Amino acid sequence: MKRSLSRMLIVALALALVVPVLFMGQAPAADDVKIALVAPLSGRWARQGQLKKMGADMAIEEINGQGGIKALGGARIVLREADAGDSVEKAVSAAQRVLTREKISAGIGSWLSSFTLGVTEVAERLQVPWLSLSYADSITERGFKYTFQTSPVSSLQAEQALDLVTDLAKKNNRPIKKAGIVGDNTAASMFFYKPLREKLLAAKGIELVVDDVWTPPLADATAIVQKLRSTQPDIVFYGATNFPDSIQVLQKIKEFSVKSPIQGVGAWLVTPEYVKTVGKDTLDNIQTVVAAHPMKGQEELVKKFKQRTGEPFMTQDPLCTYAHVWLIKEAIEQAKSADPKAIRDALAKIDISSGPAVSAFYPPRVRFDERGRRIGATPLIVQWQDGEPYTVVPIAVATRPIAWHR
Amino acid sequence: MVFAELVQYVVTGLLVGGVYALMSIGLGLIFGVMRVVNFAQGDFMMLGMYVTYFYAVAGSIDPLVGALLAVPPFFVLGWIVHRLLLARVTGGDPGRQHDAQLILTLGLSLVITNATTMILTPTPRGIRTSYATQAFAVGPVLLNQARSYAFVMALVLAGLVYLFLTRTDLGRALRAAADDPEAASYQAIDVRTMHGLAFGVGIALVAAAGGLLATYYPIEPNVAGNFIVLMFVAVVLGGLGSIPGAFVGGILIGLVQSLTLLVLPFQLQNTGVFVAFLLVLYLRPQGLFGRRARTV
Repeated sequence: MKRSLSRMLIVALALALVVPVLFMGQAPAADDVKIALVAPLSGRWARQGQLKKMGADMAIEEINGQGGIKALGGARIVLREADAGDSVEKAVSAAQRVLTREKISAGIGSWLSSFTLGVTEVAERLQVPWLSLSYADSITERGFKYTFQTSPVSSLQAEQALDLVTDLAKKNNRPIKKAGIVGDNTAASMFFYKPLREKLLAAKGIELVVDDVWTPPLADATAIVQKLRSTQPDIVFYGATNFPDSIQVLQKIKEFSVKSPIQGVGAWLVTPEYVKTVGKDTLDNIQTVVAAHPMKGQEELVKKFKQRTGEPFMTQDPLCTYAHVWLIKEAIEQAKSADPKAIRDALAKIDISSGPAVSAFYPPRVRFDERGRRIGATPLIVQWQDGEPYTVVPIAVATRPIAWHR
Repeated sequence: MVFAELVQYVVTGLLVGGVYALMSIGLGLIFGVMRVVNFAQGDFMMLGMYVTYFYAVAGSIDPLVGALLAVPPFFVLGWIVHRLLLARVTGGDPGRQHDAQLILTLGLSLVITNATTMILTPTPRGIRTSYATQAFAVGPVLLNQARSYAFVMALVLAGLVYLFLTRTDLGRALRAAADDPEAASYQAIDVRTMHGLAFGVGIALVAAAGGLLATYYPIEPNVAGNFIVLMFVAVVLGGLGSIPGAFVGGILIGLVQSLTLLVLPFQLQNTGVFVAFLLVLYLRPQGLFGRRARTV
């Protein structure tokens, strides 16, 4: 008797544990609009995925709090996240899983251009509109109908970053004659280096004296920084997306007292953990070209984000994802449907220049060309000053004036 | 190539290799004594990094000291993990236990990584030390201070392990259990206890290596992936089951990684390691210090 009682107790306990789990995935009502977020939530880029999710959650909370999607009778938006992990294969499999398990109206992700290239192939095949902040040119060079890229592409960023630093250097009477390229071989970085190597540097009469590109993870940065020390380039184009790699390079730069200015490519260089790991002095004046960063006029949004998440500042990843969710909401309002094809058509025709869906971008207007690229997308330059990254270019939306290097 | 520059490459390789060596000794010891391929070794290293980090943050303990303080708790953790999990799949049919061990340690690795990601978040953390960005200058050659301290401590710890294994009764019993478990049990050596001891020491060593690594390398839940393959290569290169072999293997990997850059681009840095690895195995299948009976 005692034994059967204890058995019953065990069964009851097991049921109590299992039943809620079984029903967890079924919480949203039938008319909810599901958006997929495929981002690295584990592996070496997990932090960026975490930041992206923060932005998406904030937008969804705002939209649902303001009555949901009006054209669909106040339908709520729910997020379906899938972990892109640390490889293209995992990202593709995550996209496949999340897009086939249930009806997804639109998707966002997946941060690293190499992953986005794979994930958008799945979205294209399954005809689900996909919004991406990734930079690689090739994302919108494949004739896809369902991919929308809100960021300026890498090659454009390279051109604009080079123009900017050459101008700045000239104004400071230190013209750029020698340049270095240092970074990993992930897709966005490679698309940034390519035009620099092939034409842009030569066109400005700049000699490329260091060109060291590695596959993450980097074992040690001594050899790279030693080259920088011996050649002393006037500017270093820097693309170390993997945090430990980047920390090793920056520590070594400080150790070897390398004074070359650093021009990064991407928002990975302006996350809060950099300050904690290498200190604000090492970071001071390092600048990076990004697709989005809080601009003048976005103080309220940043304040809200900081209060909500406890993060010390807002960066491109949560900002873009926040805007992407709002953009999908706008497209659904215009399409008056949660059908992926209708949303895709609405996105292709969309032209808006106000509201939370556009304020994160520069210039603040969203319309896409036939390739799915945002027309007029212009990169921003963000610079570390006193332990915080500020938008410094374009001047019209800068939150601080730019400072030239040590 | 200027001579000083060549010396810099060699010195850098040695310093990098020192910590690889300490990481690899733990793995080599566990394999040597228990014949267990511990895929979770890198994850215990990651936990060692976090413990050193929390020592530094909560107790203001210098990570070099923190790395040593990580040894006792990780020895106990290793002992418990062995008692609760590994002891269940060691002993019995060697074919079946091998599969079970592989699955168990691989599963353990996944559980540790993901639990750490959930509990501590994926946000990378770092211990800021003044010596991470300072160097000892020996003529034109610069020796990073953090790596130099880590190298010296790795040497000392490796030396202590060697002395323990060769000069103490417990160490001899451990080696006896490794060489021939059956004969050892006839000599009243409790093989199960020896396995627990080996696993505890192996985990404690890799946690200490993690602590030393944390003096200059950021800490994140998936950091193990950057090192685990190199650890295995070091152990096999040195000779499976050989502790001095694992140490030399680790140093060699650091050297090869550094010197490869003299002839190959950065993208092929680890290619040099694997070419050297294949060459050694081709010429000496048992590894540098391995015994002929156990070839790979």
